Amino acid sequence: MDTHGRQSLSSAPAKVVVDRPRPGQPYKGRVFVAVHAHLQDVPYYAGGLCAKLMLEGYTGYLVRTTNDEKYGGRTIAQNILSNEQEHLRMARALGFKDAIDLYYRAHRMNEISPVELRGRLILILRMLKADTVLSFLPTGEEDSDHRATGRAVEDACDMAAGESDFQEHLEAGFGPQSVVERYYFHTHAAQPFNRVVDIGPQVDKKVDAMVECQSQGGGGLGAELRARLAKERKRLPLLGGDDRMANREYVRQFLLDEHQEYGRPYKLSYAERFWYVDRHPPAKTKVDEYVAKNAVGI
Amino acid sequence: MAGGVAAGLGTTIEPARAEQSSAAGSSELPPKFTPSAHSIPHSHFSPFTTPDYLTFADDLVIERNVPNKPHQGKVLAAIQAHSDDIPLFAAGTVAKLIDEGYTGYLIRLSNDEAAGSTLGHGVVQNEADIQDAAKAMGLKRAYSFYYRNHRMDDNAAIEIRARLIFLFRMLQVNTVFAMDPYDHYDENPDHLVAGKAVEGACWMSGGGKDYPEHYRAGLKPARIREKYYHARSPQGHNLVNRIVDISSYIDHKVRTNVANQGKGPAGSAGARLRQQLARQGKKLPLLGNDDESANFAYVKHFLMDDFQLLGRQFGLEYAEAFRYIGPEPNYVGNIVKYAQDHAVPL
Repeated sequence: MDTHGRQSLSSAPAKVVVDRPRPGQPYKGRVFVAVHAHLQDVPYYAGGLCAKLMLEGYTGYLVRTTNDEKYGGRTIAQNILSNEQEHLRMARALGFKDAIDLYYRAHRMNEISPVELRGRLILILRMLKADTVLSFLPTGEEDSDHRATGRAVEDACDMAAGESDFQEHLEAGFGPQSVVERYYFHTHAAQPFNRVVDIGPQVDKKVDAMVECQSQGGGGLGAELRARLAKERKRLPLLGGDDRMANREYVRQFLLDEHQEYGRPYKLSYAERFWYVDRHPPAKTKVDEYVAKNAVGI
Repeated sequence: MAGGVAAGLGTTIEPARAEQSSAAGSSELPPKFTPSAHSIPHSHFSPFTTPDYLTFADDLVIERNVPNKPHQGKVLAAIQAHSDDIPLFAAGTVAKLIDEGYTGYLIRLSNDEAAGSTLGHGVVQNEADIQDAAKAMGLKRAYSFYYRNHRMDDNAAIEIRARLIFLFRMLQVNTVFAMDPYDHYDENPDHLVAGKAVEGACWMSGGGKDYPEHYRAGLKPARIREKYYHARSPQGHNLVNRIVDISSYIDHKVRTNVANQGKGPAGSAGARLRQQLARQGKKLPLLGNDDESANFAYVKHFLMDDFQLLGRQFGLEYAEAFRYIGPEPNYVGNIVKYAQDHAVPL
């Protein structure tokens, strides 16, 4: 632990907790905000967890920081539009209550003002009353958009609880908000993880979300493969009889290998990995405990 | 503004008002040239009054008192980098518009740390002063962003603008007062940053695509229809197309400046001069018999003098000068009307 009581990302293997399904909506009333940079990020890294949390009672919101202008293979403007529309459909597929797009230019997030982005995220976290946030680790990300997003989210989570930061928010009725849990995406093998989430029951929702990612993420590859085979007068039974089924089964068959791999050591069909940080204040502080043990009557 | 300049007995006394140098004393500009800037008369009691030059538009308007609160329901925001900017350069007009029905808010962008016996004292005193200055002008509330004084060019301009957009939308601002974003030769970097941030915020706060999360939060677009941009003296100057008669509000302006105890040339300068004279067994009758009278009289006589000289150029007792930008014409409506007036049957 560092001096602020936070679990640090040391090189020593972390104790892994397996997060299994919880029945009965134990998280009713809670809010999570998933902040990603690109259309495909949340579906790929955390689609199962998002669906699980919402099934267990959370209200979920999605924030995309970039405009995805580099993804789609068309003109910049067409890419922006296609990713925007797919983002809305993907959010609906996973069950998010709302999706907020910030539209910073993809691949250029390291030129924008980090304090401006942070300020916007602080307002969003306060406005939505976020208890839990999902996003990128602020360190160790190779993608510059991921890095900028993760850094801004980290700072926003810390500052959203403060009464002295952006007092105009408080004036507008959005009080300080403590984010008590963070799930950091596991985006590459070298990143640490301490939580493995069983997404077996949610894999169909994850597939639904990934299928909507057609400008990036491979969501439309099933239909493309089916069409190519048809031109060669062939078909793959796996891909079924229509484009939607082809896309879904392609994703299931070819794009979830890692998630099966993550689950195997724990006998789970599919899993997602995260670095999880618990920031719930302790029920009793050290002072409280000491007083309870040592206080005497006057 | 930075620090304050108050007369002490060691100061060289400049000529009294009646003897100030003529506004356009002498010029070696050949007659074939028409001057494009006009020097403004000064008493030389303070550098922080009216600019040394102003340029004037050919459709200048003199804004006078309007009875019966015609601006009821409208909202103004007076934005300043420092605690003494609006008080020195625009407080008379702000007080006038409040009296004419506006609800108004003061927004200070810096923490004013550059004035005070220590940084910490400066910040605390100025934080208190803006509340009193706001009250003196009749403003409903004062906000502060606390960016570091004299370092605002180090801040993300886009963040300042975003926060102003949020406030404009939250408060439903129609009219703004600010330092002119093009204040020529203004040396203080905070002023130019503030002016540009306000300018951009005015442009964007009505837009549907800028910061859409504000609308999700329940805020509404704010369409800024009127802007009063003031210059900062001495070197800063701007284009002037509106002269506002503040004669009825000069005492409001004086009280607003007296409230600035931590920064600027006003505050308790009158009391300090009175005390200094008293230690020498002397008194200046215009300063009165107590500190409160001394502070008021000092500001009115020495600091408002140049606003009186400016006013008298236009037949007014006291005036403030602005680059005023008003509501836009109804461009589309004009085209529609033209079409209706000139259309012929098929």
